[in-house]
Order: sequence, then C-alpha cells, then structure tokens
Amino acid sequence: MSQEQADIKQGFRTKMFTPFWLILPSLLILFLIQVYPTLYTIVLSFQDRFPTGWEFVGLANFKQLAGSSLFQKGIGHTIIFLIGYVFLTTVFGFITALLLNTEIHYKGVYITLLFIPWVIAQIIAGMVFRLLFLPDYGLLSGIMQNPSIFPPNGISVLTATAPQSWFGNFPFPPSPAMYLLILASTWRALPFVMLLMLAAMQMIPRDIMESASIDGANGWQAIRFVLIPLMLPSMVVAIFNLILTGMNSVGIIFSLTGGGPGTSTSLLSFALYTIGWGQLRFGRAAALSMILALVNWLMIMATLRITRVEERSSQHV
Amino acid sequence: MTTKKIFDKVIGIIAVLMLVASCTPAATEQPMEEKPPAAEVSPTKVPPAATESEAPVAAEEQDFTTWFEYDQNNEDPAADGRVGNKYLRDTIPQFNEAFEGKWNWVNQPKAWDKMEAELVAAVQAGGDVPDLYQMLSDSVNTFYRNGTVQNLREWAEKQSWYADLDSSALAACKGPDGGLYCIPLAQRPNTVFVWKDRFPDGFPKTPEEFMKKAEELKAEGLYAMTFFASTDKGGNGATRGVFTTFASFGGGYDDGKGNMLLNTPENVKAVEFLREIVAKGYVPEIAFAGGFQEEEAFKDASAGSFPTGLNGYLYMFPFTAPNGTKYEKNSSQDFLDAVAAGDIYISSFLSTEGNKPGCDTKAVGVAIPVGAKHPEAAHDYINWIMTPEQNADFVLGPGAGFPALKSTLKGEQFQTAFWQEAAKAIGNSACRPWYGTMERPTEAKAIIMAVVHKLIKESPNADIAAELTKAQEEYNAGN
Repeated sequence: MSQEQADIKQGFRTKMFTPFWLILPSLLILFLIQVYPTLYTIVLSFQDRFPTGWEFVGLANFKQLAGSSLFQKGIGHTIIFLIGYVFLTTVFGFITALLLNTEIHYKGVYITLLFIPWVIAQIIAGMVFRLLFLPDYGLLSGIMQNPSIFPPNGISVLTATAPQSWFGNFPFPPSPAMYLLILASTWRALPFVMLLMLAAMQMIPRDIMESASIDGANGWQAIRFVLIPLMLPSMVVAIFNLILTGMNSVGIIFSLTGGGPGTSTSLLSFALYTIGWGQLRFGRAAALSMILALVNWLMIMATLRITRVEERSSQHV
Repeated sequence: MTTKKIFDKVIGIIAVLMLVASCTPAATEQPMEEKPPAAEVSPTKVPPAATESEAPVAAEEQDFTTWFEYDQNNEDPAADGRVGNKYLRDTIPQFNEAFEGKWNWVNQPKAWDKMEAELVAAVQAGGDVPDLYQMLSDSVNTFYRNGTVQNLREWAEKQSWYADLDSSALAACKGPDGGLYCIPLAQRPNTVFVWKDRFPDGFPKTPEEFMKKAEELKAEGLYAMTFFASTDKGGNGATRGVFTTFASFGGGYDDGKGNMLLNTPENVKAVEFLREIVAKGYVPEIAFAGGFQEEEAFKDASAGSFPTGLNGYLYMFPFTAPNGTKYEKNSSQDFLDAVAAGDIYISSFLSTEGNKPGCDTKAVGVAIPVGAKHPEAAHDYINWIMTPEQNADFVLGPGAGFPALKSTLKGEQFQTAFWQEAAKAIGNSACRPWYGTMERPTEAKAIIMAVVHKLIKESPNADIAAELTKAQEEYNAGN
C-alpha cells in the first residue's frame, strides 16, 4: 500500500470515527441516566422482595396491580384529570395568547404577571390552593361553606366526596377536590401554553390573516380555518407537554389533596409514588411505571396521529 | 413583538426571579456552627461504656454517622422537629466528649416521612448507609421483609441494660422471626387528649355515654371528637384514632398469622360507631382534610377530644381553652401548661362491654442498618444512651413517651401531672402495635384507611362487612 493510499485510509477512518468519539460522552451519559434505569425497571417489574432477597415472580406484580383498588380507581381519575387539565389549559392558553396578540398597552407587564405561576414549584402551588380551600379554616372556607351561596350545605372542596357515579365504577362526576386539582394545575401550566401559542401566533404573517378577512372570513372563521391550522405544530408541542406533565404530576397532588378525599384525586402517577416510596413495593412500582410509560407513548402516538390528520385536512382547505 | 423578543423577555424575567430567590434566605436556614448545650438540659457526662469493640487508644477518631429525623443545625423555634433538633444540638457534643479520640458523631438529618424509604433504597442499592438509624417500631416488619437492618438480639442480650427493658417495648422491636431489629428507647402509646370543660365528668366509658354527651355538645355548636380521618400520609390515620376505636370494640387488623382480618363483628361495630359520629356531625369536617390539620379543631377547643399519639403534644400549639385561657408560648410547653392547669386531661378511650380501651403503641428506637461501616460505634452509642440519665433526656425530648428502661420511669422527671395522667390512661388500656403480624404494614394501613374512609364518609350506606372483606382480600392476595 502506497503512502498516499494509507493517508487516504487514515483520513477516511478519522472522518468516520470522529463523530462517534464526539458523541460518545453523550451516549454514555444517556446510557447511564436513561437506558440502564429503563432496563433495570424492566427487570425489577418481574421481581419482588422477600426476607431472603429478591426473587423472580413472573407477572405477579402486574397481576396484583390489576387487582389493586388504587390502580383500578387511578385509571378513571387519571382520565378525568387529563381531559380537564389538557382541555382547559389549551383553551385558556389559546384565548389568553389571542388577547395578548392584539395591540394593547403594557403587554410586557401582563406577560410578566401571567408568567408568575409557571416559576412557582408545583408543591408550593398546591399548598397555596390548599390554604385557600381548607375546610373551616381556609381563606375561602367562609364563602365556599356558606349554605346561602352554595345551597343546601355549602361545599367543603377538599373533603366533600364525589356524587353518585353516572357510569358504574368510572368516577364521573368527579369529587370537588378533583375540580380543584384541575384548576390549580391549569393555573400553573397556563403561562407555558400561553407563551408557546403567542409565539406561534406572532410567527404567522399578518397578511395571511388580512387576506382571510378580505375574503370575507369572520373572526371565528379566521381563527378556525386559518389561525389554528397554522398554529397546529405549536399546539401539538403544548398538548404533548400537557399530557406528559399531567400524566406524571405528583407534587401538586401531594401538597394539595394528598390523593384524597379517599382516593378521589389519586392519579396513576400518585399511585406510583405511593406504591414505590410509601409502601416500598419497588417491584410493583416498576410494573406500574412500565404501564405508565406505555400509556404515555400511546397517548403521544394518538395525539400525533390526530394532529397529522388535522394537518392534512387543513392542507386540502 | 417578535417571538425572539418575547423569549428574551421571559428569559430575563426568569433570571431576575431566580436571582431574587437565591438572594432571599430561607426562613429555616441556620448557620452551621454548633451552639453549646442550653442551660435547661443538664450536660450528662457519661464515661464511654466499656465494650468488646473499644478501639485502641492510638487509633484515629472516626466518624459515627447517624440518620435522625431531627436537624441539629436548625434552630428555628417554629420548626416541627424543634424539640428533637435541640436535643441533638445538646447531645452531640456530650457524646463527642465522652468518646473523644474514638468517635465523632455526624448526624445527617432526614425527613421523617421519607427516611424509611431512603434507607431501604440505600441498603438495596448498596449505597452509603448510616451506622445508626433512628426509627419507629412500625418499620420493623418493613425492614425485616426488605433485609434492611441487622438482627441485634444476640448482641443486645449480653448488655447490662437488656434486663431493664420494658417487655412491651422490647416486643415492639421484634420481627416476625423473633429477631430484635431495633433497640427501644421510648414507648409511644396512643391516648385521648380531652378538654375538661367539654367533658367535665371524664371521658365517656362506653359508646352510649359518648353519643349522649356528643349530642349535648352538638347542641352547643361543638364537636365531640376530632381524629385523623383522612387517607392522607399513606393511610397513617389507620394507626391512630381508627385503630383505637377498632381495638376498643375488641377488634383489630390481623389474624395473628400474618393475614389481614377486617371483617369481624367487632370491627363492623367499630365502623358503625365511626359512621354514626360522622353522620350525626359529632366530628368536624377538618378531620377529613389530612395534613394533620385535624389538630386545629382541638387546638381551638371546638372539638372536645382528640385520640392521638402521646407525642402529639410536641407538635400542637397554641391552645385556646373553652374558658378563654390562651396557651401561646408556641412550644410543646403549651400542652404541658394546659394539663398542669387542669384545662386538658389525658384519658383512655371508651370501650364496649368485656373490652378494655384499646390503643396502638410503638417504640421509638434505633437500629443498625445492613452494611453500616462502624457497627461498633453504634454499639457504643446504644450502651451510652441506655444509661438512665441519657435515656431520660431522650424520652423527655424527642422520645415523647414512656422510657423503655423501667428504672428510668422511676426518675423524678416522670412524676409530673402529664406523665402521671398518661400512665393512668395507659394503665387502663390494652395497647399493642396496630400492625400485629402483618409483614407489609405500609401497604396495610393504606388499604385499611381507604376502606374506612369509604365506609364512614364516601358511601355511608355501603355494606360494611362486604367492603371490609374486599379490603382484606386485596392485602392477603399479596401474601
């Protein structure tokens, strides 16, 4: 082999392997904090702890989980919470962004004020709402528990139980505490969604909206057929984020309701915390986290699919 | 405004907020320096106990690491663990002086409701574990199942203080295999705190008497009783007033063979009693709010009684007595003052015919985790704290119960109104650990409290026996 050929080969090798060496540190970190824990969780989900040590138990953790009331009820509560939280945050985030997208004075001040909830930790947000609605002693208890305002007996938001379910075991209508949890979570997540949507709105050229207006579209039609389809990618990001934070939120439940009254605000994420760190059933918690990961993935895929369909149909408009 | 400008502004806002937050000192943050012992706690110099593990004189001083739920560096007088914080602040220098050149006590404060999980995880992951762990005997079965702490039976039986241990305190530290998984320092039984003006003739002895008195109080716009009735804190309520009620009706939670047993006639009656007092409005709504907020109704005397742990007095203040007297030193002294003034008394619970009032009792103790680097330091510490002076200091501080050493109980410090009333109340009761033989108490209490809450609050017409059966089957499926 000539020197020239050797140099070419060496150059090729360098060119080929340099990127690999450059990304190796990131890969190693990713392996340590993502891949290894995932693999370990999978292994753990088939094991249980006994005085003699860890033992392989097959699908027993999944089976016991399926039979546990915490899990069964958690599914319904999670669905209710997600629907309420994602819907309200998206709608109010959109409306707020729409208002801020107009020519108004002191826009910066409004954005700053509206952004405050996002920088408050979940656990603090929960505590603040709790102090407002604590029965008998809360700041708003005088109003909420006043029978003349909320007949016949007033509402003790944190302790009142859910009305008789309309659909067998499915927890609907939810307890007042679930409404409060949705409200508090929405309040906290609203700034993030609002900001994303405002950014998306401001990227839309003004002339597109003006042409829609010239073409005879009224306000609602312009929003429905022009603004929303153009904002769809940003909306998808917002909805992704809301689904994931909603599915995995623990802090606000921990400090606001503690999963109660009863188990009426115990979402699957809170059940995971309870089973793992409260009951110390790490095997069972690993099984639940596998299920949660799967559900997260399925919901993201479903959202993607729905929004792609929307995107395609908007392209045909 | 462009997107970039908006983002720039937001980033700017976040940066300013973070800067402000980082410049504001936390309310509870305290300087790390250690203060000398406070005057009211007499420094008890105890010579190092001679143990088989004594290190050679020339050996270098080594760290003796502990996990307590108290923080010696937190001097905030309003902190929940202030009594324990102060105890450690005073005691660590005493220990270090007694074992100078051998051990240097380094305490790593832990959150009371997370430390159990943290230790289990640390042991199982092979991480750093302390040489000594402060615990409640509720954790014994959990630790046994998870192989978390060492069996100290063989070592403990050879120590001089072993024969002086109270038998029920010792029993609380034993695991299902008869091993000794903690060394008890104090016992914390549950009692009932009662406002004298609400129950001037003593706390009712029977459910019937209670109902009659509760109706009278209700007519005055008052509640007869507050208790931990929520499912919060992993079902902790099941270990408190709910167990007191079950046990006082002759019931309990287990069959003595490791299984949960809830559906018994006694337990059904106990649930009927709880259901009735809730339905009739004898219990304030705050009892169901969780977060230990049920205490509020007792503190302002709107509720006449409060079944809870004896150590509850450490955490409750201030008080407003029914006669208007305010106890507002904002420390555990408020409760002691109210007892000394006769405004509050300590009682046993009511009971049904043929039964003694029941209650849960737990030991406050210490354990040596599996994998501890210096178990011999922990042995030295245990021998040191098991001297009558040190044991009394612990019990009068964070132990907040009765001494585990019988000889300590005879000390002058335990002859005050508070201790005498408590001793009388406990003497009238049949106290035992709530979890019995169940090996998964953390799981059990969550299931029990969920079903009790359902029966007394959510579904007051549900079939009690059927729901109790369902709950016990759910637990037993995991056996």
